[in-house]
Amino acid sequence: MDALGQAFSLVLSYQVIFGIVLGTVVGLVFGAIPGLTYSMALALMLPFTFGMEPTAAVALLLGVYVGGMSGGSVSAILLGIPGTPSAAATVIDGYPMAMKGQASVALGGAVIAAVFGGLLSLLIMALLLEQVAAVAIRFGPVEIFALVLFGLSTICGLAERSMARGLVAGLLGLMLMIIGLDEIDGVARLTFGTVALQQGVNLLVAMIGLFAVPQVITTFIDYGHKETARIPGNVRTTMPSLRQLKDRFWLMVRCAILGTGIGAIPGTGGPIAAFLGYDHARRFSKQPDDFGKGELSGVVAPESAHNAVTGGAMIPLLSLGIPGDPATAVILGGMMIHGLQPGPMLFRTHLPVIYSIYLAIILAYIVTLVVQIWGIRVFVRVLRVPPHLLAVCIIVLSVLGSYAIRNSILDVYLMGIMGLLGYFLLRLHIPIAPVVLGLVLGETLETQYRTALILGEGSYQGFYESNFALFFFALIALTLGTQLWSSRRRGKKAAAS
Amino acid sequence: MRSDRWLGPVIALMASGWLVLAYMYIPGAQSEGEPGPRAFPIVLGVSLLGLGILMTVTAWANRRKAAMVTEKPVTRREATVVAGTFGVLMLYAFLMEKAGFLISTPIAILLMMFGILRMRNWLLMLLMAAGVTAVCWFLFVEVLGATMPYGSWLWLL
Repeated sequence: MDALGQAFSLVLSYQVIFGIVLGTVVGLVFGAIPGLTYSMALALMLPFTFGMEPTAAVALLLGVYVGGMSGGSVSAILLGIPGTPSAAATVIDGYPMAMKGQASVALGGAVIAAVFGGLLSLLIMALLLEQVAAVAIRFGPVEIFALVLFGLSTICGLAERSMARGLVAGLLGLMLMIIGLDEIDGVARLTFGTVALQQGVNLLVAMIGLFAVPQVITTFIDYGHKETARIPGNVRTTMPSLRQLKDRFWLMVRCAILGTGIGAIPGTGGPIAAFLGYDHARRFSKQPDDFGKGELSGVVAPESAHNAVTGGAMIPLLSLGIPGDPATAVILGGMMIHGLQPGPMLFRTHLPVIYSIYLAIILAYIVTLVVQIWGIRVFVRVLRVPPHLLAVCIIVLSVLGSYAIRNSILDVYLMGIMGLLGYFLLRLHIPIAPVVLGLVLGETLETQYRTALILGEGSYQGFYESNFALFFFALIALTLGTQLWSSRRRGKKAAAS
Repeated sequence: MRSDRWLGPVIALMASGWLVLAYMYIPGAQSEGEPGPRAFPIVLGVSLLGLGILMTVTAWANRRKAAMVTEKPVTRREATVVAGTFGVLMLYAFLMEKAGFLISTPIAILLMMFGILRMRNWLLMLLMAAGVTAVCWFLFVEVLGATMPYGSWLWLL
C-alpha cells in the first residue's frame, strides 16, 4: 500500500500529467494519419524525454503508445484507410458503417471498446503478471508458428462469398510479403537487382493502396451518377446506445482476454489480435452475414482485442525485459535511458515505479476516451465534404502517407500499383482483407517456421511435441471444419430456395 | 459467375510464372534439412497453382449455373477512370521526386479534378489545389516534422 501511495504521488505531478496528455494526443494524431505510425511518434518523442523525470518520461512514452493504438480507428472508419496495421480489421465494418451515416456510432463504439480492452488487459496484467509471463516465455518458434497459422485460418471467415477466392487473396498477400530481403539468409528475393526493392513491400504502403485507391476510383466513377453517388451531409453525432454496448459486453471481454494473451507473446502483436477478434465476433454472431456490411460487433471486437495488446505487451516487457514489437522496444529504450532496467529486479527495487506505470496507462486511456469522444463531433465533419472532393484529398493523403513511412518514392509507386491491384480484386469479387492478413502474418509465419526447423536440425519433432502447438493445430482443424460445414449448409439452403 | 471461367486459368498461369521466377531468381537451401529462402515461395506458388486448377475445374462443372449470374459490365467511363487515376498516381510520384511536393501536389489535384472528374469550376479547382497543398505541408512538415521531397530541376538541364 505504501508503494501504491508513492506511485500516486509520482503520477499526480504536473509534469507526469502533462506528459500523459501530450503523449496521448501525439499518439492519437500519428495513429490517425495514414502513413504516420505510433512507433515513429515514439522514436520522435524519445529525445524530448531526456530532460524529464523517469516517471514523466515513461508516462509520455506510454501515452504515445496507448493513443497511437486507438487512433488508427479514426481514419479506418472515416476514410476507409487504416491508420495503423492493427486497424485494418476495423475498416471491414467501420467504413461501411460510416457510409450508412453511422460514423459517430462506429467511432464511439471503437473508442469505448479500445479503452475497455486496454483497461481490462491492464487489470489482467496487474493480477496475473507472473503466471502469464511464465506461459508466454514458453512460446518458442514452433508455438508462434502454430499461433500465426491459426491467425491465417481466419482467412476462411474473411473469404465472404467464395472460399477459393479468399484463399487466392491470402496467398497473394503472402506472395507480396516474399519480395525483398529474406529475414534469415539475407538473400534478395524477386527484387530483380533493384536496391530500393530490397526493403520489401511495406505493410502500411500496401494497406493504403489496397484500401484507399479502389474506394477513390469507385467514388470517381460514381461522380455524376445520381443513382449511385453517395450524398454528403447526412452525418449525425450519435453515440452507441447502452443497449448496443451491453449486448456486446461479453464479446469485448473475450476479445480483451484474447488480445492480452497475444500481446504477452513477443513477436506477435496488434494486427493478429485484431483479426482473431474480428473472426471470433463473426463466428459466434447470430447474424454472421451482416459482417462486412456495417456491423458494430465488427468494430468493437478488433478494437477491444488489439488495444488489449498494450497490457499484454507490458507483461514480458516489465517482468522479463523483452519487448514484443518495435513500439515496446522504444519504450524499453526510454526506460533504460532513465535508469530503469525492466526485469524481475525492477519489481523489488522500483515497485512504486511499476505502480506508476499502471496508473499512467489508466490515465492515458482516460485521456484517449475524453479526447476521442470530444473529437467525434469534429471528426465526422469530414464526411460533410462532397465525396468526390474528399476522394481527391484521400489521394493526396495516401501519396504523402506512403512517402512519409520510409521517405521513399518507390513506396508511392508501390502504393499506386497496390491500389490498381486492389481495384481489380474488388471487381473480381476477391476480398481484400485476406491479402492484408497474408501481408501481416506472412513474415512471422515463414521466419518462425524456418527458425523452428533450423533449431530442430531439420526435424519436425518439435511441432508435434509441443502442447501449445498441438492446441493451435486442433483449433485450426476446428476452424476449417466449422467453416466448411457452414458453407455447405449455406450452399444447401441456397439450392433449396 | 462468368468470370470464374477465365479467372481460374489466369490464376494458374500467374502461379506458373511465379514458380518459374522463384526457381530462376531465388537461391535454394544452403544446407540439408534447412528450408532455404526458396522453400516458402515455392509452397505458395504450388498452392496458388492448385487453387487455379481447382477454380477452373469447378467453373467448368458449374458453367450452366454461372451463365445465369449477371455481372456488371466494364463501361468505357470505368476504364477511363481506372486508367486516369493510376496514370495520375504514377505522374504524381514522378513529379514529386523531380519537382518536389509543392509543385507536384497542385498539379495532381488539378489533373484529377479536370481530367477525371471533368470539373470546369476553375475557382474551386484552384482553391482546392492551393488549400490542400498548404494544409498538407503545414500538417506533415511544420507540425509533424515529416520530410517531403523538395525535388531537383537538374534533370531538365
